[in-house]
Amino acid sequence: MNALLTSAVAGLTAGGTYALLGVCAVFTYRLVAVVNFTGAAIGTAGTFVLIALFEAGFPIWPSVLAGIAAGTLTGVAIGYIMTRWFGEASASTKAAVTVALLVGLIAVGLRLTGGQHPHNMPDLFPGSAFRLAGVEVTIASVLTIGLAVLFTILSDLFLNRTKIGLNLRALADRPMAAELLGVRVQLLSLLVWGMTGAFTTFALMIIAPQRSPNFMTLSLLVVPALAAALIGVFRSFWWTLAGGIALGIVEGLASSIDSVSQYRSAIPFLVVLAVLLWSQREARWDEAR
Amino acid sequence: MSRLVVSNMSINRAELPVVTAVDLVAESGAISVVLGANGAGKTTLLEGLSGIIPVAGGTIAIDGRELQKARPGARSREGLAHVEQGRTVFRQLTTEENLRVSLHPGADIAEAYALFPELVQRRAVKASLLSGGEQQMLVIARALLTRPKVLLIDEMSAGLAPVIVTRLMTAVRKLADGGLAVVLVEQFAALALSIGNRAYVMRRGRAVYDGDCAKLRQSPDELHRLYLGGAESAVPA
Ligand SMILES: Nc1ncnc2c1ncn2[C@@H]1O[C@H](COP(=O)(O)OP(=O)(O)OP(=O)(O)O)[C@@H](O)[C@H]1O
Ligand SMILES: [Mg+2]
Repeated sequence: MNALLTSAVAGLTAGGTYALLGVCAVFTYRLVAVVNFTGAAIGTAGTFVLIALFEAGFPIWPSVLAGIAAGTLTGVAIGYIMTRWFGEASASTKAAVTVALLVGLIAVGLRLTGGQHPHNMPDLFPGSAFRLAGVEVTIASVLTIGLAVLFTILSDLFLNRTKIGLNLRALADRPMAAELLGVRVQLLSLLVWGMTGAFTTFALMIIAPQRSPNFMTLSLLVVPALAAALIGVFRSFWWTLAGGIALGIVEGLASSIDSVSQYRSAIPFLVVLAVLLWSQREARWDEAR
Repeated sequence: MSRLVVSNMSINRAELPVVTAVDLVAESGAISVVLGANGAGKTTLLEGLSGIIPVAGGTIAIDGRELQKARPGARSREGLAHVEQGRTVFRQLTTEENLRVSLHPGADIAEAYALFPELVQRRAVKASLLSGGEQQMLVIARALLTRPKVLLIDEMSAGLAPVIVTRLMTAVRKLADGGLAVVLVEQFAALALSIGNRAYVMRRGRAVYDGDCAKLRQSPDELHRLYLGGAESAVPA
């Protein structure tokens, strides 16, 4: 029993990361109408700036800040490509473009970071925060989940209480009508890309020490993230949040059961499949768009 | 005093010319009415003016400042407002939120409610739940809060009850009297001609009439002929 709880709790850090990446994906989809496959890769780019600086002997926290800045810029750059050249494209074309960009980012990233070569990833938040039923809950897991909750609450407040948030909702509703009223559409879109870039980078920095920190593995964290977003039907921040955490826990549990542990990376795929089948039957997919 | 001058405007759609060599003027205090049958190119003309689609040739200027290369947002900030065909309210936003999106620092939401008091009691209602007439009032009011010099309105009366149409026409006349230059596109001519000053009739992408509203109103036969063709040459007033 305790062993099971231990492995469930061990999945929390991953769960928090999936949740945050998922919420960022929903944010991007709702506001700039792009299903973004590069979400995790953007954060990975920032994380590797941190690793490079750290390995070169720079102090840790300035390196973290530089990494987050780099992630933000990468997000803005991808956003620029998407708004400048694919602003008028259909949702499926945009998604396909981000897949292509993901492949490009991974190729360049692997080349620049020496492929599978192991890196010395600093553990930003070592140690445990508290004990839950005799099981250590790590600071990292509390932090990723906290960050995901914070991002969810902040986006809610931001969208509903500020003028920029209001403009963003108008933009999401009817981009051309917003632009005709003088709303700075391009600037706002880049803001969305930059914000999600910053948060994603920080989340990946926290989870990286627990994964093999190579560019490809980290970039592919977008798969469970999109699975979480799908649980929220690309609309609800809170369902996405819960979905991401649940995915992490299920993965943790699966890793403790020998017979299924080899297949645990297929879990997000099974979830995607299940959600899609269910939503087809309920015909909720259209409504969600 | 502001003045919109459009000269030699040509616009293509899917590579085909849809608007050809159109000249048009709109001045402060006046309504320029653009008439024409379905598919004549009226909407295309307005979309070219506001920057929704690129123009193939010609110039657009407000008070001498050329706009034909600017993005839609920049044209809006230069004083050009476009109320699109089809009542493009922000559906998920309330009436008041719709108005706040466009609110220019020098404008006041009260101006919008003063023009259309009907909207006051609907201020907290989602725009998708408003009636057609209310939505039309909202998009006009919303455009007004950008503090435009020139207001382009496309098919304001489509699908609305006659009493509402009269209500809207009166409001638009009031806006022009307040100093706005208005370009009003309509398919149904009589009412528009009765409130307008200058009239244009478009047929197959060309302006086949450019003259007084009053004159055109007095000769329904000529209007009929302009709509349907017959005399192919342009008819100067
Ligand atoms: N997206 C498009 N692609 C290609 N052709 C188009 C497009 N939109 C309109 N057209 C064509 O351009 C011509 C002019 O259309 P437009 O909508 O400007 O006419 P209109 O005068 O506004 O008509 P209506 O009174 O029906 O609104 C039509 O022949 C139409 O078929
Ligand atoms: Mg039209």
